[in-house]
Amino acid sequence: MSVVSSPMSVRVTSSRRRVVTRTAIFFAMVLMAIVMLYPFFVMLVTSFKTQNQYLTGHGTSTQSWRQLASTLPVYQQLLNSTIVCTASIAIILVVGVMAGFAFAKLQYRFGNLVFLGMVSAMMVPLQAIVIPEYVNVARFGLTNGYLGAVLVYAALGTPFSIFLFTTYFRRVPDELIEAGIVDGLGYWGVLWRLALPMALPAIATVTVLQFIQIWDDLLVGLLFLQNPAERPITVGLAALAAGRTTSIPQLMAGSLVSALPAMIVYLGFQRFLVRGLTLGIDR
Amino acid sequence: MAEIVFDRVVKVYPGGTKAVEELSLTVAEGEFMVLVGPSGCGKTTALRMIAGLEEITDGVMSIGGTIVNNVLPKDRDIAMVFQNYALYPQMTVAQNMGFALKVRKLPKDEIDRRVQEAAKILRLTEYLGRRPKALSGGQRQRVAMGRAIVREPQAFLMDEPLSNLDAQLRVEMRTEITRIQRLLGVATIYVTHDQTEAMTMGDRVAVMRAGALQQVATPQDLYDHPVNEFVAGFIGSPPMNLILASLQDQDGELVLRFGDQNVVVPASYRTSHRLAELIGARVVFGLRPEDLELASGEGGVLLEATVDLREALGSEKLAYLSFGADSGIVEQEIPRDDGVPVRRRSRVVARLGARADVHEGGRVTLRLNVDNFHFFDPETGASLRAVAS
Repeated sequence: MSVVSSPMSVRVTSSRRRVVTRTAIFFAMVLMAIVMLYPFFVMLVTSFKTQNQYLTGHGTSTQSWRQLASTLPVYQQLLNSTIVCTASIAIILVVGVMAGFAFAKLQYRFGNLVFLGMVSAMMVPLQAIVIPEYVNVARFGLTNGYLGAVLVYAALGTPFSIFLFTTYFRRVPDELIEAGIVDGLGYWGVLWRLALPMALPAIATVTVLQFIQIWDDLLVGLLFLQNPAERPITVGLAALAAGRTTSIPQLMAGSLVSALPAMIVYLGFQRFLVRGLTLGIDR
Repeated sequence: MAEIVFDRVVKVYPGGTKAVEELSLTVAEGEFMVLVGPSGCGKTTALRMIAGLEEITDGVMSIGGTIVNNVLPKDRDIAMVFQNYALYPQMTVAQNMGFALKVRKLPKDEIDRRVQEAAKILRLTEYLGRRPKALSGGQRQRVAMGRAIVREPQAFLMDEPLSNLDAQLRVEMRTEITRIQRLLGVATIYVTHDQTEAMTMGDRVAVMRAGALQQVATPQDLYDHPVNEFVAGFIGSPPMNLILASLQDQDGELVLRFGDQNVVVPASYRTSHRLAELIGARVVFGLRPEDLELASGEGGVLLEATVDLREALGSEKLAYLSFGADSGIVEQEIPRDDGVPVRRRSRVVARLGARADVHEGGRVTLRLNVDNFHFFDPETGASLRAVAS
């Protein structure tokens, strides 16, 4: 004898299954959040201890925060990181937007080939080219200023930026651009007044991703910013960690300070970031 | 407002594809000209050449007496409505409509005035603050129209602006566009592949095929006097019946013969269609579906046929007829020099009254309307009418 389940019982089973699934997903996410947030928690707690308190595991103090600025030129280094980040991202955005628009909307010979060449540069890891890059930049005498590092970051970030903007502008219908032209715009006008405002999610995506990458990077800063006064925060922290007597709580306080800007930028732009990263998936 | 003139305009794309071939056409001031034809006939290319979005390979194009071959689109003073509306997504309706004026640096109050005025004409006033994505298809279409209207241009160019709308809205917008065009009196060139739009909207209709202009005439003239087999078959739904027949002189009477059917042709066609010179030759005989009616008695030119298929449309019935195995009416595809063949169908269609008593498989006797016979040259497809319009 076969058992035929009524539609009602099917519905009950499927909704119960959904509750179970959602609960499981919820707990998995909580677990992941704990794994992600735990280092921040440790950083925060440790930073409010003295070195002794850290070793013994008891007590709290604001000493490491008070001493941070004297041990490490933290404000200057934050400023250095900000200058390098802003300048690099500005170049990456300007080049990315213009090249992306050109690749997506202007027809010219070998355009696709050039685009492929540009995009394939994304596959080259920094470590593979860092030595020749250093030699080049040093030859131009650019290792003692922000410019060398800015140019290297811009060169590393531009291929991705071009790729993202090209994909983005390809989705803009040709008719929209033609409407702009008939309305009285030239190609520059179309780019700045129509395409650019439409590309805000892509701009946000590139800004956030590059900001996080450049802000958190150590290698380029270490190699290309030789002048101690121009060191970014990551290099400063590394120097602190490499010292003979490292105060772990101070290091944690410094790390927290250095992590904050990237987190703020991420949280501020994340709404656009999701839209920018899912280009071509939605619609 | 201005006259638009194509003078032997040619468009050849890189790679050699000829999109428009020596097009000569004049659109008068205030005229509503419809360019119609099947896909790839060059109608959109012709429109884009007026807009300046396509370069002209050869010939001369002028707007309002000025040659515009080398004038930039922004300096041509024309407004265009695109098939997918091409509204700027980041701008509100009002900003979309006023954008071209802002680019031209008109004073803000003048922009506002024009936008408000256009919104009133288009019944868009309450939507001025919305973004395009918050509008329905019909509303977007009206915004696209509004964007063109505020410009107060010399001419409107419209590229299949209704093709993205559903059937009911399309009918509504058809009358709306016609109303606005009449109201503003601006020369308008409207591209469509929909012959109903062409027939209902245009002051004149230009039929194109394979890059070449076939005929320019008022809708009625086009319907009554097509210059060739292509226009005859393209305009009208269902299209004109086209039957290959041989022309005989039988005891002084002109007789068309196809299969075992004989159709007596009134003597007037001897001169009006130069049939006297063609006795013994083959011609293409054309007859509109409404020029066949059920015969209730003797007299007139009659045809016996079998009803293969019947379509009741409520207001009328379409009967698809055959004349037996030996009728000589077969599906034909006639190659033409321009590479686009002409199709002749194997069945004859009659448009009958809603109450006509016809059944599938039944025999009927039809009377032909002898006043509206059409004849075409089977080789060239050209009408044999002596004074072709």
